Amino acid sequence: MKLNTVVSDEYVFLHKKRLKGKRIAKDVVYYVCGIVLSLLFLFPLIYMLAASTKSESAYVSDAGSMAMFLPDFAHLGTMFDNYGKVFTDYGIWRYALNSFLYAAIVIVLNVLINGLAGYVMAKLRFPGKRLLSFLIIFLIVVPVETSIIPLYEIVSELLGLSGVMTVAGVILPAAISIFNIFLFIQFFEGIPKEYEEAARIDGASTIGIFFKIILPLSKPIIATVAVFCFIGVWNDYIWPMMILPYPEPGEWPLYPIQNAINTIQNIPGVTTGEKMASLIVTSIPIFIVYVAAQKYIVQGFGSAGLKM
Amino acid sequence: MLTTTIIILAVFVAAFAAFVVWDLVKAKKHRERFRVKSTATAYLMLLPAIVLAFLFILLPILYSLGYAFTDYYSLTPDDINFIGFDNFADAFKEIGNKGMLYHAIINTLIFVVGVVPLQIGLALGLALFVNRKKRGVKIFKVCFFAPVVISLSVTAFLWLEILSPAETGLLNSLLGIFGIKSHDWLRDPSTAMLCIIILSAWQGCGYQMLIFLSGLTNIRSELYEAASLDGAGVWSKFIHVTLPGLRSTLVFVIITVFIGACRVMIQPMIMVGYQEHVVTLSYYMYQQGYSFRWVGYSSSIALLMTIVIGTITLLQRRLLRGK
Repeated sequence: MKLNTVVSDEYVFLHKKRLKGKRIAKDVVYYVCGIVLSLLFLFPLIYMLAASTKSESAYVSDAGSMAMFLPDFAHLGTMFDNYGKVFTDYGIWRYALNSFLYAAIVIVLNVLINGLAGYVMAKLRFPGKRLLSFLIIFLIVVPVETSIIPLYEIVSELLGLSGVMTVAGVILPAAISIFNIFLFIQFFEGIPKEYEEAARIDGASTIGIFFKIILPLSKPIIATVAVFCFIGVWNDYIWPMMILPYPEPGEWPLYPIQNAINTIQNIPGVTTGEKMASLIVTSIPIFIVYVAAQKYIVQGFGSAGLKM
Repeated sequence: MLTTTIIILAVFVAAFAAFVVWDLVKAKKHRERFRVKSTATAYLMLLPAIVLAFLFILLPILYSLGYAFTDYYSLTPDDINFIGFDNFADAFKEIGNKGMLYHAIINTLIFVVGVVPLQIGLALGLALFVNRKKRGVKIFKVCFFAPVVISLSVTAFLWLEILSPAETGLLNSLLGIFGIKSHDWLRDPSTAMLCIIILSAWQGCGYQMLIFLSGLTNIRSELYEAASLDGAGVWSKFIHVTLPGLRSTLVFVIITVFIGACRVMIQPMIMVGYQEHVVTLSYYMYQQGYSFRWVGYSSSIALLMTIVIGTITLLQRRLLRGK
């Protein structure tokens, strides 16, 4: 046995060396493939970033060369002029502010309304509960193909289609989400009864228990719902365009930011660089949300699986 | 409209009351009791959700169903007549005449058939590619996921520049290096849908990649080791270990991507407009109902779409889960 090891030691050494060489070659192939693939996925974004720093003349003169993917370092002083113009002349910050405001209200309403409903469905006993459970499952499972036109009719009948009331038309339909109710039910069912019973003995009311005991325990699910609400409101394009009035010059616009891109595209004389700058300004907050809330987004994926 | 809404509300409340009474009777049989006070609190807490869900979810569905059988034209809201299946007859007539609806169906089919395999294939490939413990894999993951972060409308506006017909557009100027002449990619019926398919898959596949990745982590590594011991190659490991392990993930991904693809609308709307070579079903429905105000006709298209998509989804679920 011992003899054997001595003999084979050198062989093992050589074998390992060969294996190592093979592994390095494999690694090189892997990383080259990875970099090529990454560039394939990133090139439109790199182009967007690069173009956003260029004046129209620089953009045109760079066409057809690798400079299309490089920022305009030759004119360091004017690199951010497009952003300046998008902010001051085109006032994109107003649209961004609108979007933040709408998102904030939707998040608060969505968590409160759907959270309350989820709590009742998860924890309380009352007549009529079976019908409501059935309705929830039904509305989640059945793929309802766009009732957006009747929704438009209802909202315009209910809230009218002029002035600030249209904002309610953006916010209220987004404040209810059957799927979020479902998420809340799932989460609340996992909270042990003892918490509530202890509070009830102390004389807390049901609503008091919800706000003082349940909500503080539910930070993860609230964060998940909030993140997805934010992304949803920020990225919504068609619905706000349908019900909000087209911005008039001189008035505060009601459009959220996605629709602002459209308005900016329609401004006569707008340059490619400015368009790209407006696209980037639109994407940055979502980018930050994705980076900051990674954990909750992945949790959301997990629960999206429950939907089936 | 108001009277109809009140009637629907009354029916809804009556049905609800019937169910409540049923529950009460049933509870009495089992000698259980509901406390009045806790029932009242429960409904008080449910009230906002019920009101909003009734107004903005249930009512639109019911109206969509009802409008489908009327000639409702939203500029003359008082003149609304029940016309039976005439809308559907009109729709089929338009398909027969190769009108806009015909193109909408064809384009939606092209999009679905193109984007579902492309996006899912890409997502699965990328997930397998980054599913290993190596340095720098996280950076690759971020790169592949990056397009998901930008919204669909930003994607559309960005690719509008990339595919710009001008010689200075990104694609045209890059092809210009090789001496290929400039081309109007989005006005050309033979390339427009292809471009939209590619950019949609590019934008979306990072999302499904993450879903596949979480599915892959649930496959136990012993299975791969056992397969290696049996002398299985990379391909047969993929077929016999990875795919079966991903079954439920795959079902979920296929159905969600399929439903999403059937709803495609923003890309053609922003990038081209209401034109024969790119119009899709959702876009057609939107245009008929919103821009042209034919709410009744538009609703009948929505109903047809719901039936077709619902059936296909059910079939997919059966086929993929059944075995």
